[in-house]
Amino acid sequence: MINPTVALLAVVLVCLATVLIAVNGLRLSRTTEDFYVASRTVKPWWNASAIGGEYLSAASFLGIAGLIVVSGQDALWFPIGYTAGYLMLLLFVAAPLRRSRAYTIPDFAQIRLGSMKLRRLTSFLVVVICWLYIVPQLHGASLTLGISTGLPGWIGSVLVMGIVCLTVLAGGMRSITFVQAFQYWLKLAALAIPVVFLLLHLELTGDSPTLDGAIFDTAADAAASKGLYYNISLIVALLFGTLGLPHVLVRFYTNPDGPSARKTTVIVLGLLALFYLFPTVLGILGRAYTSELATSGNADATVLLLPGRILGGSAGDALSAIIIGGAFAAFLSTSSGLVVSLAGTISQDLFHGTVRGFRISTLIATVVPLLLALGTSTFALAGAIGSVFAFTASTICPLLLLGIWWRGLTVAGAMSGMLAGAVGCGSALALAAILPNAPGSMHALVAQPAAWCVPLAFLVMITVSLATRHRAPGRIDAVMARLHVPEAR
Amino acid sequence: MRVSAPAGTMLNIVRRSAPADTFYVQSLIRSQLRLAVSVALGFLLLLVGMAVLVVAWPQINNIRLATIPLPWWLLGVGVYPLIMLSAILFTKAAARNEAKYRSIAK
Repeated sequence: MINPTVALLAVVLVCLATVLIAVNGLRLSRTTEDFYVASRTVKPWWNASAIGGEYLSAASFLGIAGLIVVSGQDALWFPIGYTAGYLMLLLFVAAPLRRSRAYTIPDFAQIRLGSMKLRRLTSFLVVVICWLYIVPQLHGASLTLGISTGLPGWIGSVLVMGIVCLTVLAGGMRSITFVQAFQYWLKLAALAIPVVFLLLHLELTGDSPTLDGAIFDTAADAAASKGLYYNISLIVALLFGTLGLPHVLVRFYTNPDGPSARKTTVIVLGLLALFYLFPTVLGILGRAYTSELATSGNADATVLLLPGRILGGSAGDALSAIIIGGAFAAFLSTSSGLVVSLAGTISQDLFHGTVRGFRISTLIATVVPLLLALGTSTFALAGAIGSVFAFTASTICPLLLLGIWWRGLTVAGAMSGMLAGAVGCGSALALAAILPNAPGSMHALVAQPAAWCVPLAFLVMITVSLATRHRAPGRIDAVMARLHVPEAR
Repeated sequence: MRVSAPAGTMLNIVRRSAPADTFYVQSLIRSQLRLAVSVALGFLLLLVGMAVLVVAWPQINNIRLATIPLPWWLLGVGVYPLIMLSAILFTKAAARNEAKYRSIAK
């Protein structure tokens, strides 16, 4: 259905462009600061494009349209959650986190509470979150390569991890900033151009993009709907999970000061809002023209197959190639962002933050999730990412929110809260994988645990902090001032 | 190449620059938190309102613009300007709070 040669060409082109931009960044990056945070000199527009490029992962590029095909209107909450999560990040985290001058989340934990034990626990959670988040990207790569070229899927995963390893080794954060900024616009174009052409074609041939509205009437949606609890829990996970994503937070350290961190976030919100229009339109087109994917379990391929279905011929091939290139940009940029923050965390804790340590850590950071991805089978992309968001929302998010806004947080409170969230959320997700999803059972409670896990983590963190009040860190006034006092002009 | 660990240097910066005017800092933190919470609550209320509207009044799906039901327009397009508006209002107000702090503390 898709011309394999053209598809392969698109994949190779995107990979080459990524490597070229990264190698050009190499000449600019020499010091450790360059490696970790691009020496904090990145301008808001560049930074915002890079954040957008990093954030829009396989779940956004392929998953949302697939989900709209399967469950219709319910799926619209996904992009809303992804975008509104950034609003929460702007409101509660962006400027104070930038002012903390921490490089990574474990750094923030140490600056705020001054405990090595807490630092190690935070590092451990960050590593787990990054690994869990990289795996669905690699599954996406495997699916895309498999469907578009007929090659075995694992080549896609290996290719993405190889390129990521190469670009991160070459230039660290600075070159990654350029690569990811480029990849945002590539991803936007890779969905916008096909959308425009497909709609234009349907207009010319007189076909209705929505089959005259018939696609909105299907009763199948009600059966596919996971219920009110699941949707609310998902929104909680997305809203608060974004706050704790390590690869998103590391980007905020590259802003020059607090106000520019806020400005960057506002631009990011605009970029995300613009982007999400297109997967939504493609999802609607998918309901009309590739509706059989909803039941075949391959709905994530909707975006890839639509041009061939609607246009066909060489025009369809060309549009498919553009989309496949964009999809690979999505896997590459999100994975490289994750690998950078993962390598930063591992190297600071194991190798004392040297450049050589950063390079060894990069290898560790790429090999482990690659093995995980090759050893597991593909899940629905949007759902897999939803679980990772639930996990960050119940571990890192309470630490950041209470750490930034509440003077009463103690080391014991932070540690027990994060452990409660991690154990609660982790065991729920594990149970969900084992238990059968019988109708009428409480399966949603464990499949999407954010709605009870996040309050639990906050509750434990606050209660234990109050109980250990006498052990509050002594230099709290100085730290709070550092987080909130505006920079001198 | 061996360079010093950044985490350690950060701690020193925090210790060196401890300002004396804790009272002003605390009132700055309180006003920023109040601002953030009220914007977040306002936005979430609107979001919940939309969700409830769609569930409680299913006939809303019969209102169509260009064959697409109204909830799809609201959730697929309408929410985003709302998010942008909240973000811009917050950024302005947060900068105002900081300017007020500067004029009092300095």
